[in-house]
Amino acid sequence: MLIHMLAKRLASALLLVAVPFLINAQQKTITGKVMSDKDGSALSGVSVIAKGSKTGTQTAADGTYSISVASSVSSLIFSYVGFTTQEASTGGGTELNVVLISSGGGLTEVVVIGYGTAKRKDLTGAVSSVQAKDFNQGVITSPDQLLQNKIPGLEVTNSSGQPGAATTVKIRGNNSIRSGGNPLYVIDGVPLDGRSARPNFGTGTFGSSPDANPLLFINPNDIQSVDVLKDASSAAIYGSRGANGVIAITTKTGSSGDSKIEFGSSWSVNMGLMKKYEVLNAGEFKSALTKYGITGQNNGADVDPFKELMNKKLSQNYNLAFSGGNDNGKFRASFLGSSTNGAFKNSSLDKYIGTFSGQYKMLDKKLTIGFNLIAGHTTEDIIAVSNTAGSQGNIISSALQWNPTTNFKDASGMWIYPANGAGNPLALLDGYNDVAKINSVLGHISASYKILSNLNYKFQYAINNSVGERLTNIYGFLQGYAGLSGLGFGAISGQKLNSQTFTHTLDYNTNLTSKLSLTALGGFEYWKSKFSNNSFSASGFNTNLTQATKIDIPYTSMLNDGNTQNLPSVYIDPTVEIQSYFGRVGLNYSDRFLITATIRADGSSKFGKNNRYGYFPSAAARWVISNENFMKNNRLLSNLAVRASWGVTGNQEYPSGAATEQFAFSSYNTFVQTVVANPDLKWEQTKSVNFGLDATSKNGRIYGSFDYYHKNTTNIIYQSLPIQPAPPAATYNNLNANLINSGVEFGIGATIIEKSNFSWDLNFNIAYNKNELTNFTQNGQDIKILTGQINGQGVSGTLGQIITNNQPVDAYFLKPFGGFDASGNQIIGNDPGFAGNPNPTTNYGISTTLRYMKLTLTINGGGAAGYKIYNNTATSVSNIGGIANGRNIDKKAYESAERPASPVGASTRFLESGNFFKLRNISVNYNVGNVSRYVKGLNVFINANNLFVITKFSGFDPEVNIDKSQGSYPSRSIEYIPYPTARVFSFGFKFAL
Amino acid sequence: MKNYFKIAISFLLISVTGCSKLDQSLPGSLTNQQVSGALGAAGVGLLLNGAYSDLGGPFTAQDLVFCLQENTTDEALVPTRGGDWDDNGVWRVLHDHTWNADHAYVANVFNSLNKINFDATNVLGFSPTAQQAAEAKFLRAYALYFIMDLYGQFPFRNPGDNLLNAPEVKSGTAGAQFIIDELTAALPNLPTTGGPGRATQNACKTLLMRCYLNKGAWANRATPTFADADMQQVITLGNQIISSGQYSYMSEYFRNFDANNGTSTENIFTYVNTSGVGANNSGPHSFWCRTLHYNQETSTNPNAGWNGFSTIAEFYNSFGAVTPMVGVTLFNGGNISGRYADTAVDLRIGGRYYVGVTNASGQRPGFMIGRQYNENNTPLNDRIGAPLAFDPKIALNQKEIGANKEVTGIRVEKYPPDFTNGSTYYQSNPGNDVVLLRYSDVVLMVAEAKLRAAAPDPVGARTMVNTLRAARGAAPMATLPLANPANPSDPGTLIAERGRELYWEGVRRTDMIRFGIYLLPRQLKPTDNPRYLLFPVPAAALGSNPNLTQNPGY
Repeated sequence: MLIHMLAKRLASALLLVAVPFLINAQQKTITGKVMSDKDGSALSGVSVIAKGSKTGTQTAADGTYSISVASSVSSLIFSYVGFTTQEASTGGGTELNVVLISSGGGLTEVVVIGYGTAKRKDLTGAVSSVQAKDFNQGVITSPDQLLQNKIPGLEVTNSSGQPGAATTVKIRGNNSIRSGGNPLYVIDGVPLDGRSARPNFGTGTFGSSPDANPLLFINPNDIQSVDVLKDASSAAIYGSRGANGVIAITTKTGSSGDSKIEFGSSWSVNMGLMKKYEVLNAGEFKSALTKYGITGQNNGADVDPFKELMNKKLSQNYNLAFSGGNDNGKFRASFLGSSTNGAFKNSSLDKYIGTFSGQYKMLDKKLTIGFNLIAGHTTEDIIAVSNTAGSQGNIISSALQWNPTTNFKDASGMWIYPANGAGNPLALLDGYNDVAKINSVLGHISASYKILSNLNYKFQYAINNSVGERLTNIYGFLQGYAGLSGLGFGAISGQKLNSQTFTHTLDYNTNLTSKLSLTALGGFEYWKSKFSNNSFSASGFNTNLTQATKIDIPYTSMLNDGNTQNLPSVYIDPTVEIQSYFGRVGLNYSDRFLITATIRADGSSKFGKNNRYGYFPSAAARWVISNENFMKNNRLLSNLAVRASWGVTGNQEYPSGAATEQFAFSSYNTFVQTVVANPDLKWEQTKSVNFGLDATSKNGRIYGSFDYYHKNTTNIIYQSLPIQPAPPAATYNNLNANLINSGVEFGIGATIIEKSNFSWDLNFNIAYNKNELTNFTQNGQDIKILTGQINGQGVSGTLGQIITNNQPVDAYFLKPFGGFDASGNQIIGNDPGFAGNPNPTTNYGISTTLRYMKLTLTINGGGAAGYKIYNNTATSVSNIGGIANGRNIDKKAYESAERPASPVGASTRFLESGNFFKLRNISVNYNVGNVSRYVKGLNVFINANNLFVITKFSGFDPEVNIDKSQGSYPSRSIEYIPYPTARVFSFGFKFAL
Repeated sequence: MKNYFKIAISFLLISVTGCSKLDQSLPGSLTNQQVSGALGAAGVGLLLNGAYSDLGGPFTAQDLVFCLQENTTDEALVPTRGGDWDDNGVWRVLHDHTWNADHAYVANVFNSLNKINFDATNVLGFSPTAQQAAEAKFLRAYALYFIMDLYGQFPFRNPGDNLLNAPEVKSGTAGAQFIIDELTAALPNLPTTGGPGRATQNACKTLLMRCYLNKGAWANRATPTFADADMQQVITLGNQIISSGQYSYMSEYFRNFDANNGTSTENIFTYVNTSGVGANNSGPHSFWCRTLHYNQETSTNPNAGWNGFSTIAEFYNSFGAVTPMVGVTLFNGGNISGRYADTAVDLRIGGRYYVGVTNASGQRPGFMIGRQYNENNTPLNDRIGAPLAFDPKIALNQKEIGANKEVTGIRVEKYPPDFTNGSTYYQSNPGNDVVLLRYSDVVLMVAEAKLRAAAPDPVGARTMVNTLRAARGAAPMATLPLANPANPSDPGTLIAERGRELYWEGVRRTDMIRFGIYLLPRQLKPTDNPRYLLFPVPAAALGSNPNLTQNPGY
């Protein structure tokens, strides 16, 4: 009986999905083509609706459409993102071709503003958007890379060249002295936790590996648009999680019209490194040995370890999407299968992502049911690259230090291990196996009900569950690694992340008078997040202890063989719950004056009873000057508006559990108090103001905006050791200090040439931000937090950055370099001093599109300026002293007056200008068009990523931010034997069916 | 109107949707209230174990108590070797007495000792038995003794104090008296016998002896005075321990420190480690790794040693003038060659074939000078292929930049490495227990008190010392002055004997201050300033607790 019922329900559910395929026949068919006014190109995906009816369709890839309408219909309405909606009459005929007028600056584009959308022209806050067509091209492993250099005030830094590695994302400067300063990601209205389920793993020898990107399970091809909520007025609706800004990602949905299949595929290959780190080649190395009178280190060969390491395997990417719908329902399903190879062998990221989404209307279209399911699996092959490798370094340091006159293998094919501590980079590839697999599901289901025509209620439930497993094997045949060599090491680590969101919102809009309209939103949200990890490891195995007897069975498959079973580590984060009430009211007075006010009250279980709730208000106004009578006849501008906003956002990104006294087992049979509770801890809050100006030229071909902002973060959550005697874990207090970020942003877009055969678009944006801590004192003394670990042999325990009063966060604090003495030893002063800013003050991006006939050339690039990078690699890895032990050295050091006996030391010598311009991608696209009745819109392209970088920085990539945090205080802009950035060429095609 | 009603009701409904009280749930830890209930009677024992386990880190690692107590003296230093061990100068400043208030290790030691202080105090808040309370107080006193000795003051909390408030601070004589009172109160509730891994009456008495002996130095470190009453306490307590009959000298000195030292008859209080067991293992391999050259291990572990810690020739020579030693050359700099004979008189110098270690690694525990060999008796080379021959001569500025930079400095292997399972535990989880209190210290303290008493007993003192020396294979001393300020490393003094017996056991700085020779010039430390008699209170501690006072001169 039960089974019968289930079957029945299943059948009706399937029927529900199948509804859109059943299309009724009508009396008359209108056909035509829709083109752009800009360049005469065909527009695909334009919504075509019969006026006065519910019938609609979409244009195909070639811009054509065909719609069956009642014979009485005489007008069609055409609407498309970025273009002015247009109504056109058939004049009684059955053919209707339309040229849509682009709404320069995307004034009519729909922008996500948090629990809702708005048209760009109605925005009162500072929100920047990027549509799919403007994304960065080429090999993209995570969504944040789509946006690099696209938005003024958004800084996306690739911290590592490893595919799938985390990026550092900052909106309008560095908003926190603690780690966790990334913005809040909201996917289709679902706020994410921001953490990844990839277990972190590190050994004392190799250090800890870079973090994984938490957005890997989002298919970049599924993204419709990304909106960046920059000022407090837009982000305050996200309250306590909005202080670092909000990045709202909207995925594609199905649309009314014929069902379609889109397929795209690309293949790419690494063509060397974007930029080399200059060490000596074999010839120079020999000269250096002679120069310094070093004997016994010339082994006669001529090798280049980076050449040997280079991964030449073909990367592949297949993307399939299937979508369709009618007036009552839409669906979209997509699948991505990709395998991306890193610059170095054995490092790759494989992704399999499936999505299924739909929106269905029922009960006279009063009820809309929506769902979206994203299921992703990623497999990362990780090589021995880490943030904090100590004296023995990692695969990059081994390659940099490798004596270029030494072969990697001996005559019998066994790895050669030099006795100089450098390690053999190829042996490290062979003997180090580290694979992380993550399964992530993000699903949400929503129901919205039109209580009245202008009153809508919506409920959404979302769940994000990610489970990660990581198997690390370091084989005992690797020689030269303390505690690993001759023993072998295996570790199984797991990590789980689960967050759930319940959201209720109520939307209301009405015209209060003929000129004054009101929109209102009220809502409740409950968010809960759980996080846990564990790790089991052992060392001292009986297999793989010699290279000759290597077998394929990893230690992690027989962990019980380990002679030394290390302590299991199990950690469960105290559950985080946030419960919120929020509201937004907007008033529009005849499209001239617009006012928005929001408020959010957040209660978080992270805080103690005394200060559990925080309140985050905001207000903003927009005056559309161009709609005033005195501007009506203006010949220059079609749009001119000024904006002003004020608001308060919060930050609660600090470890949960700090408000509760906790006791825990520290090891076998030992139990200690771990946390000093502070029940009075309050929210960190950021008050910000924003003034903006938007303008569009009369013909819509030039549009730009300018913003000034000032952000003041107070009640800074300060983490310090508790007052001794006390448990060693940090305590958290609110400091009455100010972290100020202020700056200006400017963006401009122009269609410079616009002919039917040829067009040229250019976009440019630039942002300047000043970051400074003030009143950062305690008991009248400046607080000094040292961070920025400088690693490597001879610099253990050295910290190169400081968080202190009247300085930018993470200011360099280094001993001065005083040149070389007569014996060629570097002279380093005794007392460290402030040495510069590691936070870029200026970020800029440029992109241009040239189209000739069916050929399109797109170039995206950008850079940063006004900051310094500390080259920790030069300090302690490629330093000149290595050559005395037969290690390769820095070319700069070789060319300097320094001699091999020069002592190692961290100083301003290794501080370099970070200014750079990077050509992110160039792509040439040939639009073949329709090749058959079924294969439409065929597009072939070639693409080059990371073609070059212009910089004076001597490291691998000036876009670098290795995590060198100290005691959870982050560092910034330190390079240390990072995974280099590859230059990648790709080829691909796409078409629709 | 009906619509407005709907609108109002809708917004009202949504405003009452709230559900959670937002009380934090702790899936992986317990609250204060849960502890006694969840763990029952055993809970206090587990908390006590927590305090015991706190001893491991600070007294094992090379960069905690060890470096403050040893590198600041004639027993240890870390020369910078080219780029290696520069570490921003942290090691050099300890040896030549030029450190500043921001020295990271000074802060780390303060915090790690105060963790013992805190965890031990916490035991007292959970209704412990009388013995558990006594053990906790002993552990706390052990930490307070070192905080007092290093920083001249210590913060103190009562169980249940609000940890957000700054605690009171005790210093000077009052601080010393507090520690003595705590130990005296704990004494009767401690067991009279028991493993060295747990507190016993004898461990408590040994610590009390240290307190009485140093009380006068704590009161005035520049010119220590010694009250007769305190000296009598030292003698009485020491004699009780000696006459308990529980301790005797080991025939092999290094057996007190090797992987089987759990059976040593000299160790009174230790931190127990078990071979191959990671749980609560304090990592005693750091004792040998910190000093051995990279190449001093099997072929699969060419970077086993860290090639850092050494000692100076002056200290090594303090073994010399009293006893004729076969095969041992005295060093005043310059190279040496040849190997030690196994007939060296003073066992504590080492250099002998050590079963279980020499056959596994070629290493001979004790002082290492000259060419080193592997287990097959093949001479070792350093990483540039030059002979691995430790050279006593260290650069004057402690910065080695010559071709011999990897081999300078006499090395000290006090703890013979754990080869109970091949070289498996050589670099992780060895079984050597870390010695925290030892019988010879008791004997030497009694002898010292006899010399410092109002009515000195030099004969009695010398007899005790000579008995100890006989057990170590060293010739008797004819006279036994406390120290020779004209020659701080004069081998014929009690302070030199304490150095010979207790080197690298974390007592040297305290000893040198008590004997008034800490500030005198010595090898690679030409000058000094009285401020270095104490370490600075770390800036973070000073900032958060206004009751702490910065020590003079910082």
